[in-house]
Order: sequence, then C-alpha cells, then structure tokens
Amino acid sequence: MNKDLLKKRYKKEKRFILIGRIAVSLTIIFLVILLGSILLRGISGFYTTNISLKTNLLEEIIDPAQNKNADEIFKASWRKVSRTAIYNILDDYNDSKNIEKSTRKEKRDFIRLFSRSSEFYVRDYTLKNINNIGEVVTINVPASSLVDQYLKGKIDINLDESNRPISDAQISWINFMVEKKMIEKKFNVSFFSNGDSRNSEEAGILGAMVGSFLALMVTIIAAFPLGVMSAIYLEEFAPKNKFTNLIEVNINNLAAVPSIVFGLLGLAIFLNFFGLPRSSPLAGGLVLALMTLPTIIISSRVAIKSVPPSIREAAMGVGASKMQSVFHHVMPLAIPGILTGTIIGMARALGETAPLLMMGMVAFIVDVPQSITDPSTVLPAQIFLWSDQPERGFEEKTASATIILLGFLLTMNALAVFLRYKYERKW
Amino acid sequence: MLNNEPKIIVSDLNVFYGNKQAIFDINMSINSKEVTAFIGPSGCGKSTLLRCFNRMNDLIDICKITGNIKLDDLEVYNKKIDIVRLRTRVGMVFQKPNPFPKSIYDNVAYGPKIHGMCKDIPELDAIVEKSLRSAGLWDEIKDRLHEPGTSISGGQQQRLCIARAIATNPEVILMDEPCSALDPIATAKIEELIDELKSKYTIVVVTHNMHQAARISQRTAFFHLGKLIEFDETDKIFTSPSEQKTNDYITGRYG
Repeated sequence: MNKDLLKKRYKKEKRFILIGRIAVSLTIIFLVILLGSILLRGISGFYTTNISLKTNLLEEIIDPAQNKNADEIFKASWRKVSRTAIYNILDDYNDSKNIEKSTRKEKRDFIRLFSRSSEFYVRDYTLKNINNIGEVVTINVPASSLVDQYLKGKIDINLDESNRPISDAQISWINFMVEKKMIEKKFNVSFFSNGDSRNSEEAGILGAMVGSFLALMVTIIAAFPLGVMSAIYLEEFAPKNKFTNLIEVNINNLAAVPSIVFGLLGLAIFLNFFGLPRSSPLAGGLVLALMTLPTIIISSRVAIKSVPPSIREAAMGVGASKMQSVFHHVMPLAIPGILTGTIIGMARALGETAPLLMMGMVAFIVDVPQSITDPSTVLPAQIFLWSDQPERGFEEKTASATIILLGFLLTMNALAVFLRYKYERKW
Repeated sequence: MLNNEPKIIVSDLNVFYGNKQAIFDINMSINSKEVTAFIGPSGCGKSTLLRCFNRMNDLIDICKITGNIKLDDLEVYNKKIDIVRLRTRVGMVFQKPNPFPKSIYDNVAYGPKIHGMCKDIPELDAIVEKSLRSAGLWDEIKDRLHEPGTSISGGQQQRLCIARAIATNPEVILMDEPCSALDPIATAKIEELIDELKSKYTIVVVTHNMHQAARISQRTAFFHLGKLIEFDETDKIFTSPSEQKTNDYITGRYG
C-alpha cells in the first residue's frame, strides 16, 4: 500500500478527533460559564439580612382593653409599635454621635432600611407570644432590600452619593447597626415560603413552585395515559396503511410545532370555548399536555418498537392473545423507555413559558395557589416577571429562581437516566 | 415403525407475501406422533409453511394465504376458529431461544395460567415440574426456578422454551431450526429430547442440518423455491431419493 496515502489517512483521523475535542470543550466551557454566572449571582439570594428590633409591646397601643383578644390585637396599630422601635435605634445612633434631633427626611430615610413588612413581623410575634404584651422584646425583622444589597456588596459605594441608591447617612446607620450586632445574615426562609411580592426582600418562590407542580400534575394526568395508549394502539394494533402513515407523520409534525402555537390553541379552546379559569394551573397544564403529547407518543412508540419481536412471537406461540402479549410481555419491557421519554417531556413542559403567556399565567399573583383552578404562575414565568423588575433586589431573585428551576430540571433528567440504567434489559 | 394416521393435512396451499408468492400448491399430510423434518435451501418456504400450521403468519400484514390446512377435523384457516385455541393445540419453538425475561418458573407457568389450565398453585407447580422434567431440564434448574429465564445457557434456554411449549399440553410442536443457535453438545441434547417427545406429540422440525434431519426424523420433506419436491420416509430420502433435485441437495451439489 502507498505509504503516503496511509499517512494521510492517519492525519485525517487525528484532525477529526481534534475538531471533535475542541467542539466538546467549547460546549463544556459555555456550560460552565452559564451555570457559574447564575450560581454566583443567585446563591446570595438564598440568604437574607435580618435586623433585631428591640420592641416595647406597649399595652395601651396593642391591647387597650386588656382582654388579650387575638382579633382585637390583630387590628392594633402595629405600624406605630414598629416605628417607635425603629426610631429608638435612630435615637441611640444620635446619642452616640451627639446629634440633637433627626430631621423628618432623615427619619424617612432611616425607615427605608427596614422592610415594609416589619410591622407584620412584630404583629405575628406578638400574637404568638401573647403573654409578653407590656414587655420589651427583641424581634427579628427583615431588613430592606437596600441594606441586604449593600451588605452583600452589590452596590458600588465609590460612586457619587447622588448616583447611588444609598446615601452616606444610610451607610453610617447600617454600619452603626452592624457594630451593635443588630444585623445578622440568615437563610432566606421566606424565599421558599412566600408568594410573589412587590418588595424584593419579601418576594418568594413558593407560589410559582406550587403553580408549576399543579400544572405538571394536570399535564401528566392528561398526557401520560393518552400518549401511552395511542402509542400502544398505533404500534401494536393499528393496521399499517396510508391513513395510519398520515397520522404518524402528523404526530411527528406536531412535536415540531412552536410552543406558542399551542398557547394560541389553548387560549381559543380551553379559555374561550370551554371557559376554564384564566391563569389557572388547570388550563396551563392542559396546554402543556397538548404540547407534551407528541413527545410521549413518539418516545413510547420507540420504546415499544425496541422490544424484540421474538418476545411477541413467544407469547403468541403459547397462545396469548394480542392484548395479553402486549400487556404481559411487551409493556413491562417498554415501560422504562416510556417513563424516560415522559420525564424528559415533563422537564420540557416545566421549562416552557411561551404557551403559558397566552394562558395568562404570567401575572403578579401573591397568593400561593390552593387548587388547580386558582390563579397562579409557574417557575419560568416567575423568572420572566422578576427579570423585568427595575428594583435591584429582584436581579438576585431572578438568578435564585433560575437555580431552583435548573435544579428541578437536573433532578428530573437524572431520574430519567437512572430509570433507563436501572431497568434497561439486554438481550 | 411408522403409523399412518395423519394429523395435519395440507391441501393446495399457496402463500403470498404481497405480490411475491412464497409457497406453491403444497399438498401433504403429516403423520401423528412422529417427527417430520422440513429441509431445503434458504428461502424455500419451509419456515413459512411451518408458521402456517399455527397461523403465526397472521402477524405479517402482507401475508395472504389460499388453500386449506386441517388439524384433525379443524380447519386452521377457517375464519371462525379461535386462533388462541389453535395455538394451545399447536405449540412452537423458535430458532433463537426466546424465553420471556421473567423467572424460569413464570416462563413455563405463563401458558397454563392464561388458559386457566390449573385451579390452584400446587397444580400449577405440578404442571411446571412435569413440563420441565419432560424437557429434561428439571434436575439442572430445580433450585433456580426463580432466577430469570435469560440467565441460563443457550441450550438450557431452548429446552426451557420447549418446556414452555409443552406446558399447555399441545398436540403438535413446531420447531423452527431449534438448534441453529446452539453448540453441538446442546444440539445433541435437544435431538435426544425430540426423540423422546415424539411418543406423545406430533413434531415438525425445520432444519438446515441434513444430518440432523436424518438422525431425528421419520419422514422428510424437501422443498425448493416454494415447491414441495419430495416427501417420503427419511431413510428413503437420504438413500435413494426419487427426484434429481433432492439428490443434488443432499449430496451437497447446491443449496
């Protein structure tokens, strides 16, 4: 054989392998950059800043009737109680700096260091510890997003005062509170227990998580049996003729239809024709089911097709009916593949936003949905909403929510891989 | 040695795959309780004919059949017959061992179970044991009944498939090249088994191995290009065939 030719061939192979390696490395680099930047920005969102507030639970404001009736206590002027406690800190600061009295503007700026929901924390604390009324207690209230962002180093303090959201006075107040050990960084429980909010320090993801969960439940209940049954029928029972070929082609086409089109379809059918409640996980889940159905049918058919015909023949040979051969022998072997396909379809549905835009699931909804007919939003829609907010604190929330979404997606895909390896049978 | 009571009677059978005719005008009768071997070069239609006996060809959409097959008095291709019933009377063993990916026990028990041939577990146990014993497998695997059927050797798997076929107590057992995927030792065991089984069952074996046909069968049919060339007692086919083509084939001149 020609020696040069051989050399050339080896060179070609080497070149090909090199290109392949470059391509794979590029992919990995991009993935690392993507995940890294999201993690870097989002991890801090799982922590939040709390301020311990020494509060005097004055009986004459909270419970003037002195009967410890929870309903009446609930209606007390909590703003007055919390404001008093907050101004006390400002007074302490003034004492330490020998400042006579704060101006109204200074007071207003100081209040802004505390979350607007502080008074509710004071209220809830009191309602839980009703016997402490009349005493001075220490209550942890959330700091405002401004303090949180400043302490996390997300605000550039080298800028001129007029160009940054935080004033010099506010910085020195924060530093005073840090010195007095009134400020602590804590795991952000409210991020996982709250619905959406206009205050970034109060905004949580629970509403979106529950919404996603409910919508996916609707999707799986609607799409899984329908998809698997269609796949079994088409693969095992349907005659092979032009009509079934047409159906097959169209199912494949359906899988490639842009998801927004499914949204339009859902809007026309589920909302306008059937009158399902707008923004509800029921309507959203049904649209996602339409979208996932072709994926489930196709992957189920592949799984059923990959069961060797010898198994069917063996079953037929001992006199099993068609149905028995399918359900006793083919399905147990096809189920892992079907589940894998379904989970991957579900993961896609979890990350889908466009069709849900059409169903009104991109809305500001504070309450955590209780049922599939309550208005709710879903994780990707929540991310979309937060990314649109001008307030600085939401940038962090956006990244944190993305981490949660990616976490769910990775878990689902890992489950699919696990099922495939665990139950895969070889012949 | 031969009894002449016919079990399966084939008359004027033609089989088409789409527009292609695979089998031409076959007339033959297969005798009860003896081994009939089908030999012939690849693509001669012997497997197709075998699969007509239990209507396994029904699985292929484009397969069309004309003519008549009778199993005793039952017209196999009568539209009114119950195929499931037919297949319990005509068991089948395939070329490649194809145990279900279930336990050895379940492999054998499946047929009797779906046909409701047993009332309770002890009865089912008895059927499983009897079938495995008849297939000469009981002593080898009686301690491993709940291991997967795919975990035993190829030869054992094939005997498991035979046990599975006889568990439903058929009258006829069809074997489609049952030894082609096995080594000589496993083949010898299967051949021995076929010899034992013929006292109870009518057996039809498709084989590519002419020595095997000569060893195990009482009658041999030679097919060529979808036609039945010669069908006679095995001794006669292999010693003094009446057709030139048969002679050419068994002496290895073509095939």
